[in-house]
Amino acid sequence: MVLAACAAPAAVVFAAFWLLPMVQLVMLPASRGAATYFVVLTEPRYLQSLVQTTLLSAAVTMVSLVVAAAVGLYLGRRSFAGRRLLLAVLTLPLSFPGVIVGFFVILIGGRQGPFASFTDAVIGERITFAYGVTGLFLAYVYFSLPRAIASFTAVVERMEHELEEAARSLGARRWHIVRDVWWPALQPTALAIGAILFATAMGAFGTAFTLASRYEVLPITIYNEFTNYANFALAASLSITLGLMTWAVLFVARRFGGSAIGAGA
Amino acid sequence: MNFFPSRFLKAAAVAFGLLASASAMAQTAICYNCPPEWADWASQLRAIKDKTGITVPPDNKNSGQTLAQLVAEKASPVADMAYYGVTFGIQAKKEGVTAAYKPAGWAEIPDGMKDPEGHWFTIHSGTLGFMVNVDALKGKPVPRSWADLLKPEYKGLVGYLDPASAFVGYVGAVAVNNARGGSLDNFGPAVEWFKALKKNEPIVPKQTSYARVLSGEIAILLDYDFNAYRAKYKDKANVEFVIPAEGTVVVPYVMSAVAKGPNAASGQKALDFILSNEGQAIWANAFLRPVRTSAISKEAQARFLPASEYARARTVDYGRMAEVQKAFSDRYLREAQ
Amino acid sequence: MKTAQRGRVDTPVLLAITVAVTLFTVLPMLVSITAGLTNNFSRGLASGLTTRWIEEVWALYGSTAWRSVLLALACVVVGLLVGVPCAWALARSQTRAARLFEEVLTLPVAVPGLASALALILAYGQIRGFRQSFAFILVGHVVFTLPFMVRTVSAAFARDDLQSLDEAARSLGASFMQRFLGVLVPAVAPSIVAGSLMVFTLSVGEFNLTWMLHTPLTRTLPVGLADSYASMRIEIGSAYTLVFFIVILPILWGMQALARWIENTHGSSPGARR
Repeated sequence: MVLAACAAPAAVVFAAFWLLPMVQLVMLPASRGAATYFVVLTEPRYLQSLVQTTLLSAAVTMVSLVVAAAVGLYLGRRSFAGRRLLLAVLTLPLSFPGVIVGFFVILIGGRQGPFASFTDAVIGERITFAYGVTGLFLAYVYFSLPRAIASFTAVVERMEHELEEAARSLGARRWHIVRDVWWPALQPTALAIGAILFATAMGAFGTAFTLASRYEVLPITIYNEFTNYANFALAASLSITLGLMTWAVLFVARRFGGSAIGAGA
Repeated sequence: MNFFPSRFLKAAAVAFGLLASASAMAQTAICYNCPPEWADWASQLRAIKDKTGITVPPDNKNSGQTLAQLVAEKASPVADMAYYGVTFGIQAKKEGVTAAYKPAGWAEIPDGMKDPEGHWFTIHSGTLGFMVNVDALKGKPVPRSWADLLKPEYKGLVGYLDPASAFVGYVGAVAVNNARGGSLDNFGPAVEWFKALKKNEPIVPKQTSYARVLSGEIAILLDYDFNAYRAKYKDKANVEFVIPAEGTVVVPYVMSAVAKGPNAASGQKALDFILSNEGQAIWANAFLRPVRTSAISKEAQARFLPASEYARARTVDYGRMAEVQKAFSDRYLREAQ
Repeated sequence: MKTAQRGRVDTPVLLAITVAVTLFTVLPMLVSITAGLTNNFSRGLASGLTTRWIEEVWALYGSTAWRSVLLALACVVVGLLVGVPCAWALARSQTRAARLFEEVLTLPVAVPGLASALALILAYGQIRGFRQSFAFILVGHVVFTLPFMVRTVSAAFARDDLQSLDEAARSLGASFMQRFLGVLVPAVAPSIVAGSLMVFTLSVGEFNLTWMLHTPLTRTLPVGLADSYASMRIEIGSAYTLVFFIVILPILWGMQALARWIENTHGSSPGARR
């Protein structure tokens, strides 16, 4: 059938270069016993890493969504000279590899950065935030915001303002407007984008790698196993866990949010 | 309007073809872990190119990544030679990714520093200590012992490479372990020391951080004498090398020819050069102890710390060190990270 | 685009947040650009401006910039050839198999790049020519970016008005190829362009997969960047970042301008704007 023929190339490419190799990889932990698949639950270090990664990703997603919504609400309803330029600048980091963002954090929050110089001048001690959880958090927010801003701005541009106008003219307080006008309009996008932000944060490797952060995230744990005398079985097991968790979140978000995911930039 | 004009498709096909063609260089040898900023590999790679015509692109892996990549690519290797710490060389032989090769100058390598069959051989050694950027300390005293590093005044100033993936990281752990009363069978003191060091918020990079010490980002790095001397004498930085009061270790770095490497012949020629007088002289001038000690000049020797300092640096049973490495890495990742 | 905004009421909070975010985004870029041009970062601008870091970076890593761009373009081409027909098939098909395929297609996004790369090496590493070429990295990029292209375009293909267009053309006797290339694809042109832009952006910045797939001879820009950040001076890392800006940004902006032009000449997709 024509439809099948259309989907065939993609199916072939996908099967050949991802599905089949992955199946092979999924079998790897079995070489060390079936229990290896559950190592993330049995080994406290891995569990802690998974929990830390999840907490970080959730926090980053929440903060990014709220902040980006605010920016979207501002930029989406205005037009002024340079608006397009501003949007372009704000969404620029979309093209950055994660390592650049890590580098930025070292630049600003490392020992030689302006922040350390500032604290040195003020309290006489050079404080660096780059190598702890603060640095990691800021970095993750840095690369999450642009994606969310792009989506929210697009949605707000299409939002109906009559509703808000009516609410205001009827004397609704700001909080009510947020809850009853803005939130329902933004919710589908928030869900869709939030899932993507969460997935990206969970799997982000380059940023944490560059930062050599003290706060261990699962992708780095996987790297540690990989380079610890080539422990592929364990690396594979942790990857499967991470993959399943992330995919589950994406799946749930799609079910609840309809097909909004991927339809926008 | 036809959205995919055939011209566009043809151009795309050409570009694709260009991309798909393998590196068709006449004389290339691929090295895993030849970082330009470490042990002056930059000069060595340049010399190899000049004297033998073989191009060896630089590569920034660490020992652990090197071994992992070699094992992953075992069926069809990408690399022709690998450089790593001795324990990784021993492990690589066990994994079957190395080839037996005895380069020219083989006989001059002492027995304990090479694999009898040629699967790995030492090219130079180094002594572990503190590489200190004195300027970056901003007036604080230069630390002289392992215990000093635990003092709160050095908060945020200490760095060490990841003991679980970088050989120098592991060596640092072995050094502090031995210095504080442990042995290869008991890594307790090392783990305790790393745990205590956590209060000082150390930076733990995974790859060569030579330049970061120079720039002052990392003020005190657990690193080898050769990197510190190079910073001091070649790059004219205000760097001091300290052999800790409680003692330290001397370790060899080895190279292997990779089994079934794509450019095996070029790789072997490069290895020959590295062990030749010229190659060894480059290490000597970069303040490493070349394995063929005949190559070190009086001048270079004069720049090292006096022998009395080096008396505190001991060798270790490298074979045993290799055997216990995995257990230590696991323990470190579990308890001290 | 929207009609005139009546004087927007309050929103000083929104303005403040927007300003803060702009500063947060822009400041590091500015610091980085400056650092790349300064003689000595710890001493700051007082140490004078220089281009020597950029020259050094270009000598060491210049080739990685073009490699990454070509790789990204190739990824877009493959994504178009493979993804657009697939998107149409998924948009039109009602079968369970299609839905399942759609779900499975997004898996590479969820699984960490290191794992996908390792899987690829273990499966195809033996084919030496393939392993050592850029095609190996390209394959990884394609598999990772395909879901983005497919989802974007398939959402556009799913519109009802397209179905009627298609029916009309078919009833007039047009063959499938004629309909596909002449009617359907132009109708979703803006989505295709949006998808291409996304694929290009993702490929240019891809690190997780590429880090394991590359060889010393096939380094890409992000891999080179990571090396320089970890091992080189801050000035060199900054200069390299600056090179990234200079090379990638014009291309991105060009593509965005192209996107806007296509959107204007093809007419905006129905329902997008009022």
